[in-house]
Amino acid sequence: MPNMPKRIILLTLQTFSTTGGIQKMTRTLAHSLFHISKQQKWDFKLWSLYDSRYDLMSQYLAPENFVGFGRSKFKLGIATLVKGTRADIVILSHVNLALIGVIIKILNPKCQLWLVAHGIEVWRPLTIVKRAFVRHFSSKIICVSSFTKQQMIKWHNVDAEKCIVLNNAVDPFIKHPDEFEKPEYLLNRYSLTPENQVIFTLTRLASSEQYKGYEQVIKAVSMLKNRFPDIRYILSGQYDSTEESRIKELISSCEVEENVILTGFLHEKELADYFLLADLFVLPSKKEGFGIVFIEALACGLPVICGNADGSVDAIRNGELGTAINVNDLDELERTIVTYLQHPLTTAKRASLQSRCLSHFNEKNYRKNLLKLINDELAT
Amino acid sequence: MCRIAGIISKKLKPAEIREKVAIMCHALRHGGPDDEGIFCDDEKGLVFGHRRLSIIDLSQNGHQPMADVHQKIWITFNGEIYNYPELKEKLLALGAKFHSNTDTEVILQAYIHWGMASFSKFRGIFAFGLYDTEKSLTYLVRDSAGVKPLYYHTGDGELSFSSEVSALKKAGISAEADSTWKVRFLAYGHIPEPYTTLKGVYSLPKGEFLCWHHKKDTYEIHSYHVAANRTIINDAEEAREQIRNILTRAITRQLIADAPIGVFLSGGIDSSLITLIANQQKHAQLKTISIFFNEKEYDERVYQSLILKEIEGEKYAHLVRHQDFEEFLPHIIDDMDMPTTDGINTWFISKYAHDDGLKAVLSGVGGDELFGGYPSFSRIKYLKQMRQFPPITFSAAKYFTSDRYKKISFLTYNHPLADYLLLRGHYTPADIAKILDTDLTEVEDILFNNKLLPYISNYDEEDAAWFEVNLYMQNQLLRDTDVMGMSHGLEVRVPFLDEDFKKLAENIAPGIRFDMSQPKKLLVDSFKDMLPRAIWDRSKMGFTFPLQQWMREHHEINNESLYKGKKAKSIVKDFKKNTMHWSKVFALYQIQRYA
Repeated sequence: MPNMPKRIILLTLQTFSTTGGIQKMTRTLAHSLFHISKQQKWDFKLWSLYDSRYDLMSQYLAPENFVGFGRSKFKLGIATLVKGTRADIVILSHVNLALIGVIIKILNPKCQLWLVAHGIEVWRPLTIVKRAFVRHFSSKIICVSSFTKQQMIKWHNVDAEKCIVLNNAVDPFIKHPDEFEKPEYLLNRYSLTPENQVIFTLTRLASSEQYKGYEQVIKAVSMLKNRFPDIRYILSGQYDSTEESRIKELISSCEVEENVILTGFLHEKELADYFLLADLFVLPSKKEGFGIVFIEALACGLPVICGNADGSVDAIRNGELGTAINVNDLDELERTIVTYLQHPLTTAKRASLQSRCLSHFNEKNYRKNLLKLINDELAT
Repeated sequence: MCRIAGIISKKLKPAEIREKVAIMCHALRHGGPDDEGIFCDDEKGLVFGHRRLSIIDLSQNGHQPMADVHQKIWITFNGEIYNYPELKEKLLALGAKFHSNTDTEVILQAYIHWGMASFSKFRGIFAFGLYDTEKSLTYLVRDSAGVKPLYYHTGDGELSFSSEVSALKKAGISAEADSTWKVRFLAYGHIPEPYTTLKGVYSLPKGEFLCWHHKKDTYEIHSYHVAANRTIINDAEEAREQIRNILTRAITRQLIADAPIGVFLSGGIDSSLITLIANQQKHAQLKTISIFFNEKEYDERVYQSLILKEIEGEKYAHLVRHQDFEEFLPHIIDDMDMPTTDGINTWFISKYAHDDGLKAVLSGVGGDELFGGYPSFSRIKYLKQMRQFPPITFSAAKYFTSDRYKKISFLTYNHPLADYLLLRGHYTPADIAKILDTDLTEVEDILFNNKLLPYISNYDEEDAAWFEVNLYMQNQLLRDTDVMGMSHGLEVRVPFLDEDFKKLAENIAPGIRFDMSQPKKLLVDSFKDMLPRAIWDRSKMGFTFPLQQWMREHHEINNESLYKGKKAKSIVKDFKKNTMHWSKVFALYQIQRYA
């Protein structure tokens, strides 16, 4: 049936009802697929198991292109059998959806299955079904970074040709400032002056995930506070109570109560303003698949320091946009922070950093690459 | 005190703007009977309006809109800044000069000296518009507890604001009704913030400010909240000590007034506590207002008299009879500004307070929310257990005929608001769809499209407190209290919501704060030597009127032929059989009236 529109389904666990790196990446992917499909007259649907219909953020795609199953695995199962098996391409945004992929492939061998590989969820041994899926049932594995691609090959012995690196793009709806003043309302909120040197980290602060490296930054700040009395470290992101007590104890034992500001959850609409408030973004994490937050910071002209042993190096274009360090080396972290604080970026340099970041990680390029991948797949 | 309004528009002619603001001021006059003022900047297309209820500095010095000596900053202000004497002292030390004894002038000088950072220094209940002529900015600012209302409308490079929704309607700023308000009203029993009955008119969120850029005709809204590192109080004795100190300070500073001030006394824990503490400050000058009924089971005079015998000042007690309800109901509904199923009680007590010559009163709102005084605090744990089941398990609940069980169908929705509505809601989505003769999907989309709520995961007392403070109290109690008080030119002050006291409560470890062995145990224990046992060792009554009986006998409310649709008629029949709560029928009644 040559005239039938091609059917593409992006199947996700959660896209809108929580916000993390994977969800952000999926939103941009859905937005791109939505627009490509409109242009190509394809039939595109975003399916989300844990979102409800009313979780949709309608700027990303139209309600008729979105199905939220509201946690009902039963409904998702039915939809898979009825509609999933008729799709041309099904993109699974998470390896935990592998079983559904396997069912679709068995019922419709012609359907092409893609998997998006982000980070730690695939850098480890997988169950039999998931391993079978990545090795045999999927036709492409979209890796968000070269590091993730290497890990896919290393851990699961996946055919290298099947693994395509497609770096994330900056969320099309995040504000790109054209002025780089520190927002006055945020200075007021934290009793800061423009003279304060602000280091900023935004990440989930979970007691179950001990790899983000903000403890290192707290320690570094405690060593720097005498040299830079105006230094402030804003540590943002949702935390659980166990982690809250742990961080507070660390802050108190490092004697940096005056320097570290814990903000908790940040509202999306204020995010760009926090990047403007800061002089430096630091996330010395060990296990970022890509680190979408780095390109968001860079898109606001904020320089970044990241770890050198994970996917982050893709986000800073191997050093072109930021500095990667050995996260276990506290001295190196301290030295790097000092370098940035001693040579703060001028407005012109911030603007240049912003435009360099956007020239690499913009949605237009992302869509172009994505379209080519899909067309190649459909042609075969 | 007061009511405010204003418009910024480059499209309308200055005379037209002035006329619209004058219409708004006229519509708001009940809340500001003492004076009226208008300020215009024709070049910027800005007009501020003000209706004054004078409580502090009763002289003409308090006339508003007010400016600094150089006329660089203009303000139209509604509310009270309780800590204005402390701020004034600090500002004097910085070289500020004052020409009146008003708190309004303190806001002006605070802004001049501290800029935007001044907003978070104010302790009080307030909403104001402030125009900075030099920076070409206008701010709309609302207090952190959301006690004073502020509604705004933007569009086409214009900004309008007012203390009441109906004023914006009367001035023709937004004439079209919001198409979703009935759904929300039937679900909640009120219209939750930020929504209103008018299209494009929203409530400014508490603790936030809107900044209007006159040069670009654009605006932004941000929180002015100041981050403070939380120190959790884990020691019960320390918690009690701090409660005593900070609540006493809050009540003391809220008693500041140059006009007569009193206390609403219901006979419950919260109002009794406020009355006793206020009496220590004001002695013979403190007036108390209470209400009683002929209906025995609602009569709280035994408890009221226990407190009144400790009080030195004048005591006013008023009998509210069935015929008073019949006589005043049309006025009450007219005074609501927006439909609500509560507030009748506040309307009456405010009326009597006003008739007794008072201009401001203290009320006990907030105690239940902060210290676990509602059944929802224990019910929320059951909710947690029920949430362990897949949502589909509860989908059959909508077929239950009993109202109580029907609400279980809220569990089919995976949304924090569904949890709240299960605890506090009126009609279920299926019933709302039938009443309004619309699609269930449409009702669900309207109710659950709010993405700004924090994700509820623990289902503990702190989550319950969040719901009660931010949804029920904010949208129902505070709004109704303000609008009903102001309809009689009476300012209602709420010491439990003093910013410092609220923060203190939130910093107390949940195990101490919500000791559920007895309602509001921590609060009671903090004042045990002051509060008579009979007041706290009793079943909860609340500030309740015999409305089930009165409404069942009301010739319109009980007349099913006045209601449209089969569903509505059958609800009224159930009500007459006494198997339906009055508040649900009262909601229907208002929907009919609005239609």
